[in-house]
Amino acid sequence: MSQVETGKTLLEAKALSRHFIVKGDGGFFSKRKSIAAVEGADVALRAGKILAVVGESGSGKSVLARLLSRIVSPTSGELVLNGETVDLKTQRDLAYASQVQLVLQDPFAAMNPVRRVGHSLERPLLIHGVPEDEISARAHEILESVSLTPPQQFLDRYPHELSGGQLQRINIARALAVKPKVLLADEPISMLDVSVRLGILNLLRSLCDDKNLAIMYITHDIASARYIADEVVVMYAGQMVERSNDTSLINSPQHPYTQLLIASVPDPTKLGAEVVKAPSGGAAAFNLNGCRFSPRCSQALAMCATNEPPMVEVAPGQHAKCWLHASDAQRASVTISNKSKNEMESKNV
Amino acid sequence: MTDKTILEVQNFDVDYGYGDAAVRAVSDVSFTLGASKVLGVAGESGSGKSTLVYGLTRLLREPGVIVGGEVKFHLDGEGEFDILSASEEEIRKIRWSHISIVLQSALSALNPLRRIGREFDEVLRVHDANLSKEQRRERSEELLALVGLRPDRLRRFPHELSGGQRQRIMIAMALALRPELVIMDEPTTALDVVTQREIVSELAELRRQLGFAMIFITHDLSLLVELADDIMVMYAGQIVERAPAKELHDAPRHPYTLGLMNSFPPLHGERTELEGIPGSPPDLKALPTGCPFSPRCAFAMDKCRQERPPLVLEVGTEHSVACWLHDSSYQGAVPVELSKRLAKNSGGAQ
Repeated sequence: MSQVETGKTLLEAKALSRHFIVKGDGGFFSKRKSIAAVEGADVALRAGKILAVVGESGSGKSVLARLLSRIVSPTSGELVLNGETVDLKTQRDLAYASQVQLVLQDPFAAMNPVRRVGHSLERPLLIHGVPEDEISARAHEILESVSLTPPQQFLDRYPHELSGGQLQRINIARALAVKPKVLLADEPISMLDVSVRLGILNLLRSLCDDKNLAIMYITHDIASARYIADEVVVMYAGQMVERSNDTSLINSPQHPYTQLLIASVPDPTKLGAEVVKAPSGGAAAFNLNGCRFSPRCSQALAMCATNEPPMVEVAPGQHAKCWLHASDAQRASVTISNKSKNEMESKNV
Repeated sequence: MTDKTILEVQNFDVDYGYGDAAVRAVSDVSFTLGASKVLGVAGESGSGKSTLVYGLTRLLREPGVIVGGEVKFHLDGEGEFDILSASEEEIRKIRWSHISIVLQSALSALNPLRRIGREFDEVLRVHDANLSKEQRRERSEELLALVGLRPDRLRRFPHELSGGQRQRIMIAMALALRPELVIMDEPTTALDVVTQREIVSELAELRRQLGFAMIFITHDLSLLVELADDIMVMYAGQIVERAPAKELHDAPRHPYTLGLMNSFPPLHGERTELEGIPGSPPDLKALPTGCPFSPRCAFAMDKCRQERPPLVLEVGTEHSVACWLHDSSYQGAVPVELSKRLAKNSGGAQ
């Protein structure tokens, strides 16, 4: 593998969106409607860096991973791999798959239960055209790279004979078998026992550093994001609401949603401290016109309900999609455009 | 409030399977629970925490078998109730009206083909035949209001509700007959942190209003520190440590508890590399002799590999631990990590 420079952008998504068509509310014959699972996602995955994508269920973080791995095709937007725009009209080909690999949440479901681990590891090598006489050696090598030794002992086992942590290591090993440059890890630790989670996180960190991999780490656990990530993005209802090019958004969150998320994490060191009352509504309660978080936001302004907020720089390298941080000029432009819209409408009437 | 004992468990053992194939899933568990207390049970999958409560409520299914011990439930004004020797008919009268249980997956606990209202109606009708249909509906609406849901949710089907709403329904149903003890088996594990926070603070409020005792099971030790009065840590079916919540958090004594606490990366302070716990969770079919944690323990001694340590109460405290390092027979120095209070975690500001 040619050595890649650390920090170089390997995979980039520009304004990537995916809409799903779902049944309307009014029963079988109701009009179908479209839901934006991911909207306007901008992501850059850099060599030797881990980007954490944090969000609750339904925030679109898993769809984002599938878009980047091209298992799901986007409704609009652009993907750039190694500086070249990917043709999104065609099917994903082997060349793309060999560069961008996906690791899924459930290690038990990801392996064929009736095949030995060796089979599951050697298949991708065969498919990606590794000469047959090299395959066995390569399988040994990749198992060693995820600290499963001696390798032969694992190659001969069936998935049910291994623990969740070991299986997840094998999953990661399998993704690395074809020497990808980008690894997308979708909640890789959430199904694992608490005591082995750190082992997997440490493994991802060292793989990232040693092989100069670009990793996207998707999680709902903001503390684990802080533990391994170089950059952090927070998603809410399909949109990126806050991002920072280090972990500063976790130490000083600016978007009300990020603040709520962090205040909700159980924290024994803050016993007795005033607990933020989470505004109810559930993840389903989001507003499609203005800021999607506004129905649950305790600091929402009048304009939040009707106008989508811009991404505003709140600190060097940290951006929040929130009207609270917008400049007066930005807010004023909305009032004007609202007025002109109203004028237009009144003329039409 | 004078605290009476509500539940007393002595040397409780549960096996899966029979004879030679039997696997001991809960081993020699003893504890008592006060009538207004919250007991937290922490442990990983396979630690026996769920099996323990299924056993205590006699909900255990084949091949699970209760093989030993005593479980006494103290009813207000009615004296002692021996759960293990009670008939199936007697236990059914106790369950739900005196002891209720909330399971992790609310989706699989609710009938997908029935509206929520019908589930409530049935619970109330079966346990109190005197209530009229109108009274049952009123009571259902009251219960929903208790967990912060609108009465129109009674018309909904389970799939129309979010995960948090469904879990609230389960909690409302568990409280329907005003039980003295509510058992929660990982009620928030499948939920988002924000929803988890909402439900946990609602539970605290409900306990203030209704004053029931609670057993709360989870793998998330930091959640328990906030929520529970006492915490019991289980490993391979045994209690390895039990202490008041804050005490356990500030000064863990068992190497496993310490490891578990170090497995959660902190949200504040410096970013340092954490180790977690090496090795894999125990295989109950092939437990090592001696202390079950010894193969993964950094401090294991020869004795740990030969003899299983008993759970011993530290003199003058409410802190019990099953570890040879803290046994009176141990002459050497206790490793610093296990002898001090964890200053960096205990929040100097307080």
